[in-house]
Amino acid sequence: MSNGSEHGLDYEQARLVKMVNQIASNVPNRDDIAGQVAVHLRTFWTPVMRADITEIARQHPETLAAQVHNALDQLQTVEA
Amino acid sequence: MTVLDDRIDDQRDLGTPAVESETVVTVHIDGVPVQVPEGTSVMRAAALSGAAVPKLCATDNLEAFGSCRLCLVEIDGKPGTPASCTTPCSEGLSVHTQTPRLDKLRKGVMELYISDHPLDCLTCPANGDCELQDMAGVVGLRDVRYGMEGENHLDAPKDESNPYFTFDESKCIACSRCVRACEEVQGTFALTIAGRGFGSKVAASDGVPFLDSECVSCGACVQACPTATLQEKTVIDLGVPTRKVKTTCAYCGVGCSFVAELRGDELVRMVPDKTGGANEGHSCVKGRFAWGYAGHEDRITAPMIRESIEDEWKVVDWDEAIAFAAGKLTAIQEQYGVDSIGGITSSRCTNEEVYVVQKMVRAAFGTNNVDTCARVCHSPTGYGLKQTFGTSAGTQDFKSVEKADVIMVIGANPTDAHPVFASRMKRRLRDGAELIVVDPRTIDLVRSTHIEASHHLQLRPGTNVAIVNAMGHVVATEGWIDREFVQERCDLGSFQAWEEFICLPENGPEALEEATGVPADQVRAAARAYATAPNSAIYYGLGVTEHSQGSTMVMAMANLAMATGNIGREGVGVNPLRGQNNVQGSCDMGSFPHEFSGYRHVSDDTVREQFEALWGTPMRSDPGMRIPNMLDAATVGEFKGIYIQGEDIAQSDPNTEHVAAALRAMDCVIVQDLFVNETAKFAHVFLPGTSFLEKDGTFTNAERRINRVRPVMTSRTGMAEWEVTCALAKAMGYEMDYATSSEIMDEIAAVTPTFSGVSFDLLDKVGSVQWPCNEQAPLGTPVMHVDRFVRGEGQFITTPYVPTDERSTRKFPLLLTTGRILSQYNVGAQTRRTNNVVWHAEDVLDIHEADAQTRGIADGDWVEVSSRVGVTRLRARISDDIPAGVVYTTFHHPVSGTNVITTDNSDWATNCPEYKVTAVEVRPSAQVPA
Repeated sequence: MSNGSEHGLDYEQARLVKMVNQIASNVPNRDDIAGQVAVHLRTFWTPVMRADITEIARQHPETLAAQVHNALDQLQTVEA
Repeated sequence: MTVLDDRIDDQRDLGTPAVESETVVTVHIDGVPVQVPEGTSVMRAAALSGAAVPKLCATDNLEAFGSCRLCLVEIDGKPGTPASCTTPCSEGLSVHTQTPRLDKLRKGVMELYISDHPLDCLTCPANGDCELQDMAGVVGLRDVRYGMEGENHLDAPKDESNPYFTFDESKCIACSRCVRACEEVQGTFALTIAGRGFGSKVAASDGVPFLDSECVSCGACVQACPTATLQEKTVIDLGVPTRKVKTTCAYCGVGCSFVAELRGDELVRMVPDKTGGANEGHSCVKGRFAWGYAGHEDRITAPMIRESIEDEWKVVDWDEAIAFAAGKLTAIQEQYGVDSIGGITSSRCTNEEVYVVQKMVRAAFGTNNVDTCARVCHSPTGYGLKQTFGTSAGTQDFKSVEKADVIMVIGANPTDAHPVFASRMKRRLRDGAELIVVDPRTIDLVRSTHIEASHHLQLRPGTNVAIVNAMGHVVATEGWIDREFVQERCDLGSFQAWEEFICLPENGPEALEEATGVPADQVRAAARAYATAPNSAIYYGLGVTEHSQGSTMVMAMANLAMATGNIGREGVGVNPLRGQNNVQGSCDMGSFPHEFSGYRHVSDDTVREQFEALWGTPMRSDPGMRIPNMLDAATVGEFKGIYIQGEDIAQSDPNTEHVAAALRAMDCVIVQDLFVNETAKFAHVFLPGTSFLEKDGTFTNAERRINRVRPVMTSRTGMAEWEVTCALAKAMGYEMDYATSSEIMDEIAAVTPTFSGVSFDLLDKVGSVQWPCNEQAPLGTPVMHVDRFVRGEGQFITTPYVPTDERSTRKFPLLLTTGRILSQYNVGAQTRRTNNVVWHAEDVLDIHEADAQTRGIADGDWVEVSSRVGVTRLRARISDDIPAGVVYTTFHHPVSGTNVITTDNSDWATNCPEYKVTAVEVRPSAQVPA
């Protein structure tokens, strides 16, 4: 997990990476991190931000915590 | 405009405070029967009966003193002539207020007073507003047998050191009202009666000038003074006011009610409103005196535009400015898409002004990219309290603190930031409530006159959650959980999960001692005090919210309150002390990008359809961008236009360099404000705003109290702010038509369930109401969650402590935390343009002596403060209010550039910036700021 800046991400992308990793570190229920991250992103993030982080996950998977990847998978399933 | 008729004076002074008693007694005042609570003073009973007794040392916000001997009465069956102010009513008392014997005594008393008082009534600034003058008339004084030639104080010096009021000792009658007001109302104890007998005189601190004393210039003494001894300088300059308008202060979240007193259209003074629910007749230096910015020469009153921020401003009329702004925004949307623009609402504006801005963004711009300055202060409060209790608001009214037995103040400094509430709190503390302070700094409440915290948990910045978890651990493991409350009121599944979590050894005070720096036994003692008192209340401020775990901390406090049963009655609760006057209201009005008014998510089809039907245009179902998202998107060219209502993000938001880069990258920045602030330097359109003295609307304070803001003077810009917003929406093709701001509130009430009973008519009738105000609670709701939580059952949430990324390192070994000072307000746009600068002309860096010594820094030296994002320079002040390893400053002056060094770290849930923790290094500076 990283803050993204060392992976050639632009400022906005690096911020998204940092934010989503921080969300994963802080959601209350540690037994369902991915589910809570997915709900959080759906509740508070714009569709563009969600699309951007999904693209970052694809291109720079190493920047995101494993639970964030799981959350994005859940998000895609819900939004599909 | 509502002009209050002087004949209907609800500021009437009944002489002594009201008494609470379940027994009502009947007394006869000059033969007229009056029913009052037992123990009510005869003076008050007489005033209520309409037979006011002459008085000088008595006033109804102070306890009876019995010194002036003017209020003597005769009582059947009782000897002598007792003072009516100190004589309590009992059943059957028969009182005579006017008898020949009393007339003679009173006249004699007045002769003594007047024999040592200048006979300059005609030229006195209090002429027509002087109780001594009034009483001389009431008792029929015609001459003074003792003459004026004897020993007197007529040549006593005048103290004009305070910028707002004078102290003319020659006019003092030593009634002690000012001294008692400073003690009983304000709680500062700055004044005293020095000397004895004929030499008795009012003295500030140790006889120093007022400005150099401990006086906090709240104005309580001026208000209490029955003569011109303590007199507002504006009254001396302008004369006694001739008309009054009731309105609401525009500074902090206490939201004090004031009576604006004018001569014609010129404001002479602001007098705290005795009937104001939030302040009950008290004020602070800002609300009482610091309103001169409204007429400051820097004020911009005509619209201005420019193509580029490199160009000079061009002053234009409203039509041209609106057309220019609309043209730019429309062009941006055509080129970059609908979501390339947005808006920010202001907590300094009225509910009605805020509501129309968020409506314009959603309906005219067609996006949910609207956010509010609460993003950078109390957004975690909204998140945390909604998750746990079901709604985004504090639980109590301010008055509730009077019933608290333990008061826990966390991350707040009420004596500076919420001074009027602090005075109320201090009264309760002097009466015996126990105080817990959780703060890295030794704030005034920790130890001041007649106040001492029994527990000061001086934690390291950034470890709030650890401390409250540790307290929760003590509560759960030592058997202090109120299981009956939890069983009846809370979601049991969530409680069991929380209990299991909080009992883990890793949450114990011993395990967390190294992280917090607070000895475990201190945490245990504080937790026991909080858990075992009959009523324990939490009050918190930005020291809770402005952290990477701000939202977690709010939920941790809510857990603690629910676990101990401290919710749902007077004297308890979880209470945010809001920074700005209308933070609560701006959030209520639908300013967040994911919520409509009343905190209803944009994805809720039913709610969205309601707005679509009323507003006649489709609403978006996805959340829009928050302020930091907008700024981030701007730096990469995806966000190009913004409407900023009354907020100076270039000074107030963290990482100034990033904010400036974002603003510079936009094609259209519209600033609506009073002054050309730091943000306006990046603006293309400047729409002049109105001060609170010109606004017509409502503010909602930290206790959910909706108060009327009435125009004291006509708009200096020629337009109300909501009219400007509506004009811009119309120019962009969306009609927003309101004839008055009252109509806007009617629409708010129609679409917002918690406001459904609110109207200007109701507020004008009852003064104020606290939401929810609806069919179930037509006069509002002082205390929330009484029988059930808004969400039904209270929800416990587990709150793991996650240390912030912002840690001290070898390169940046100190932790900077920021805050406010009493005399200044936020970025200082208002207070820097008043005489309040005499108390705080610049921001300084407080540094512990040990840290200063190791760096070769002396008190008053200029120092360079660097963080990983920037550098600024401040003057150092050696202070033992902060522990070694921590430095502290304020952000009231743009030249200080405090936010040049704060980082873009933020709360995980809301993106509220982590202003309270920045790793820095401090070094002596050879350079001095220009």
